[in-house]
Amino acid sequence: MAFSAGIVLLGIGLVAIAIRRDLVIKLLALGLANAGSILCLVAIGDRPEARVPICAVCRDAVYADPLPQALVLSAIVINFAILALALVFVMRLVEHYHSTDSRRIEGLVQRDLREGGRS
Amino acid sequence: MSRGSRLFHLLVIVSTGCVVLLVLLAFHSETPETAPYGTYVDRSVEETGATNRVAGVYLNYRLYDSLLEVLVFFVAVLGVRHYLGTRERAEIPTLAESEVVRTSAALLFPLALLLGVYLATLGQISPGGGFGAGAVAASGVLLASIALGIDAIERRLRRTTIERIERGALLVFLLLTLLPLPLGRPAMSDLLPKGSPGAVLSGGAIPLYNTLIALKVLAGSWLILRSFVRHRGEI
Repeated sequence: MAFSAGIVLLGIGLVAIAIRRDLVIKLLALGLANAGSILCLVAIGDRPEARVPICAVCRDAVYADPLPQALVLSAIVINFAILALALVFVMRLVEHYHSTDSRRIEGLVQRDLREGGRS
Repeated sequence: MSRGSRLFHLLVIVSTGCVVLLVLLAFHSETPETAPYGTYVDRSVEETGATNRVAGVYLNYRLYDSLLEVLVFFVAVLGVRHYLGTRERAEIPTLAESEVVRTSAALLFPLALLLGVYLATLGQISPGGGFGAGAVAASGVLLASIALGIDAIERRLRRTTIERIERGALLVFLLLTLLPLPLGRPAMSDLLPKGSPGAVLSGGAIPLYNTLIALKVLAGSWLILRSFVRHRGEI
């Protein structure tokens, strides 16, 4: 159940990254896709009636798989780093072109390139 | 946009989605008794000395994972500071916060730092770890800078000191992973004694790595936050 929800979230995020034109919405969608993949990873590590994988004495219990949880840790940190860096790029673009519309910015960049080539 | 390129975009989206779905389903349909699960759950406590098996996985078996993670974080901090550091404003006006906010921030700031220390040093026996600890401590510093103004915080936490802490933590981390090589052991192997699982001093080098990662994440997050604030001119 949680696994399917994660896949749905991941799909919504990926489609939104591809088809929405606003750069900030694209970054929000990236965060959504990241949350979906984290949900998938946690669901993969789950076992029926599993315990938290922190226990020294209870030997015979069923534990959740610690490996996907360790991967989730990486995913969270990398997502934070990527979002911060991408936001900086969006800020620079907005300062220069006064727009967050990716297609409009692309047109302005093309125009700048043509003018730069001519002069 | 022309019809053909729209169709092409749709095709790319659908095929990417199919591949991701296939990979995830293939991973999900594995039986629970496959090797990594059994290895990590049954043997990690004896082999790493850490009762927190997740910490055992990411700071012992898969230390390279955490190492590259720290490097990616370092590159992101460098990028943010490079692209935002050109026009910094010297004076940031403090918001006129009420007495309630200032008092509660002064009360909660040391508690957040204490929680960060707890999460970093006891990550081997309880839920926690360096990344979470660094994030908690950095949000404590952010809270204090919202209440007291970023200039007051920067008078105590100088930027050059924070930068030195960030680079120093990364350097010590890298040297620690290479230290086993001159001693004739494979790189990234754990040199410290394991200790008895469940004790405060257990898990070999895991508390050391957690503390270093916490320092690194605290310094890096604070550098990112202060770059945004200085660039924007308000907090």
